[in-house]
Amino acid sequence: MTKLILRKLGWALLTIAFVLLLNFFLFRVMGDPTRLLKDPRLSQATIEAIRVRFGLDKPVINCFETLNPIKASLNACGVNPFNTQFAAYLSNLLKGDLGVSFHSQRPVAELLTERLWNTLLLIGAGQILAIIIGIILGLVAAWKARTVLDYSALVGSLTVWSLPTFWLGILLLFWGSNYLGLPLGGKETIGSGLTGLKRLGDIGTHLLLPTLTFTLVFIGEYMLIMRSTVLDVLSEDYILTAKAKGLSTFQILKDHALRNAMLPIVTIVALNLGFTVAGAIQIETVFSWPGLGLTIFEAVGRRDYPVLQGAFLLLAVSVVLANVIADLLYTFLDPRVRLA
Amino acid sequence: MKRCLIIGLMLCGMALAQGTVRIGWAGSPDTLNPGTAVLSEAFTLFDLVYDSLFNLELDGSIQPELVDTYEVSEDGTVWTFKLHEGAMFHDGEPLTAADVAFSLDYYKANEDFPFANGYTSYFDSIEAADDSTVLVTLSEAIPNMLSQLLYLYILPEHIWSSYPAGSAATEFENLEMIGSGPFKMTEYKQGEYVRLSANKDHYAKAPNIDEIVFQTFGSQDVLVQALRTGQVDMITEMPNTAVVSLRNDPNIELVIGAPLSPSVRDIIFNVTNSDTCPADDGICSGHPALLDLNVRQALAHATDKLQIIDVALLGLGTPGTGLIMDGMGEWFNSSLEDYVYDPEAANKLLDDAGYLDSNGDGVREMPDGSRDLSFRFYWPNDVIEAPRVAELLSQMWGDIGVKLELQALDPDALTSVCCPSFDFDIIMWGWSSDPDPGFMLSVLTSDEIPTGTSETGYSNPEYDELYAAQATELDPAKRQEIVWQMQAIMLRDLPYIIPYYQQQVQAFRTDRFSGWITDATKVALEDPSSLTQIEAIQ
Repeated sequence: MTKLILRKLGWALLTIAFVLLLNFFLFRVMGDPTRLLKDPRLSQATIEAIRVRFGLDKPVINCFETLNPIKASLNACGVNPFNTQFAAYLSNLLKGDLGVSFHSQRPVAELLTERLWNTLLLIGAGQILAIIIGIILGLVAAWKARTVLDYSALVGSLTVWSLPTFWLGILLLFWGSNYLGLPLGGKETIGSGLTGLKRLGDIGTHLLLPTLTFTLVFIGEYMLIMRSTVLDVLSEDYILTAKAKGLSTFQILKDHALRNAMLPIVTIVALNLGFTVAGAIQIETVFSWPGLGLTIFEAVGRRDYPVLQGAFLLLAVSVVLANVIADLLYTFLDPRVRLA
Repeated sequence: MKRCLIIGLMLCGMALAQGTVRIGWAGSPDTLNPGTAVLSEAFTLFDLVYDSLFNLELDGSIQPELVDTYEVSEDGTVWTFKLHEGAMFHDGEPLTAADVAFSLDYYKANEDFPFANGYTSYFDSIEAADDSTVLVTLSEAIPNMLSQLLYLYILPEHIWSSYPAGSAATEFENLEMIGSGPFKMTEYKQGEYVRLSANKDHYAKAPNIDEIVFQTFGSQDVLVQALRTGQVDMITEMPNTAVVSLRNDPNIELVIGAPLSPSVRDIIFNVTNSDTCPADDGICSGHPALLDLNVRQALAHATDKLQIIDVALLGLGTPGTGLIMDGMGEWFNSSLEDYVYDPEAANKLLDDAGYLDSNGDGVREMPDGSRDLSFRFYWPNDVIEAPRVAELLSQMWGDIGVKLELQALDPDALTSVCCPSFDFDIIMWGWSSDPDPGFMLSVLTSDEIPTGTSETGYSNPEYDELYAAQATELDPAKRQEIVWQMQAIMLRDLPYIIPYYQQQVQAFRTDRFSGWITDATKVALEDPSSLTQIEAIQ
């Protein structure tokens, strides 16, 4: 058991190390952020001074001045490998320093923690709702297989699953603001001075539409997986036995079908975390929800590498950790894994 | 909030503070540090929270702000500014000449302040003669001294002196933002919102309202919806497509005109030749036909600017003649006559110059038959209307036998092919400008070809001489004459075709506040001029 956990953790660490490397090169291919400062008021000397301030005047890595494919050149091989952007990146990481945002000149770590909680709130609410509703829908649809109820749940789930997230978000945004008077963006009413429960209510109002979008987008997948797994389980002999013993429908579904169908759901939830982030980027952008997704979206447009690097590192670590946790959960859900 | 959902967690119809004006925008300030800020949203806040020596008015003129009276020495190098009485910082300290001298010195000392440092480049020395007198000595007389002072916001010395020039200055977040302007900073959440409260003790323009809230929304479409549903009272930007529907809303009024920072869309021809191609970086792969003025003139005659403005901008633009925009007031040469849209004249020009379609494929060839008149046409992919403009040009120029290979490029990639490498035929790009025409005029000078500022590679000694002359001409009338002459040369030689100058569209709710300035040359409802003047409707 301990060996299993250690092995899983080892792989997780290796994956994170690989992400660290990839992270560096990925963003530098986009080019020099100071190029975006095309403004008549900026002198060449000032741009140079800004590049020096952020260390962009140094070669990206030994032998490569820049990684921009159009401008890449091999003429910098003579430079000191310790005086490169890569060396600075590694040494800062070792010190736990995520750098300073090019755009806002604020420490990245501070920027990300400020927004992490908002994203956790949104993702958490959306995922929990999607999982609960998806599981119930899947169970019911499987039990009532090939009835009108099953078909409508199936078609409904497939439809919302295949809708583009941002499009669904925009539709809901316009519908909700027009007919329900819901807010069009932000996390709470600015300067409302509300406290306690009233403030929570206000945040809830702002959270309603983004959470709804999130839930709708993810419900379909959970429902479909639940339905097909439960259908499988229901054809097993032990279900027949259970029926023969005279157990109620509810008991059969709860004690026999659900427990066995949980394994694929746990897998999907963990794997989905990556897609959840993609969903968060779109939903937060549409609803101006001040979370990590919006931060990433904005940082891409501004070529704000330090922010992107920090955010990607954070996400990579959480996805990897989620999968480790899912692996460990198996051992409790399914005794066969424990023996293996 | 007419339509409300009555469910448990809704706090419906929450009373709005009467004196709070809520402004929606799709951007947000990058930083509150006036030295390091780049985005216009940040400068909008600076204009509200700080005072500077002079202010750019909405009619395009420059008027004294903190300055009461000023004079300049005979040779134009020593400027004496007498400050207004009674200016106070928000923390209660008086604003004195020492603060002004400190601020100007501070901007000068920080070389990596993107904009502010550039404005001080001619400042030799700055000193406070007494509590209300500042002397600025220039290294040489310049014709545009006042426009250098517009964005040099006066900082409190007692706060900023603890952040000496260098990294302390650039890393200072300035969240408290103590200034002397008509509004005070109360709360700032980066990327979400900004709250400013009225400085009712301002010496000159105390606001009528109590508070401003700037809220950032996800897109311009959402802004329009927020205005419509009454969640905001004014929006600083909107898509042209929303103009018609908002016009029909009885509670909303639209304001359309030149933006505060006038902008131009330009079609750039690569006219570098073997003499002008930059020695270090030049690739200079431009199509040889574009070096021929006949071809450029034919293209100008084949460009229906009004149709482009109608289709791509839904009518919200004005046809252009040169790099100096119509929003630049007296500097814009309004007497120029543009090339008329006349495809027949265009065809004739090309025919006469020997560019014929001898193989009958619908595309003309060079007179010697060596290549087609087929041009690479690039534009930056962050310009919303550009694809439509490109399609239209491709049709219009196709009608006179000129083919375009259209391609959108990332701005970074575009910079790489543009300048100073000159590895393109035609690029469509743009500029936005300061009130002074100096920079925009420099774009076409020979000196800028190797630096990357010149996008065309155009070189004309006559133009260069005029540029040098206007840069030192201290008499505004004489300078204007030269600037106008330079625009005539631009239009004659056609290194650019200027399809249009953009217009700004803003909108506000008429049922919440009155007194917005809607009839000025420039449109900027977020400018202190409007925000200090508006009053809540009872």
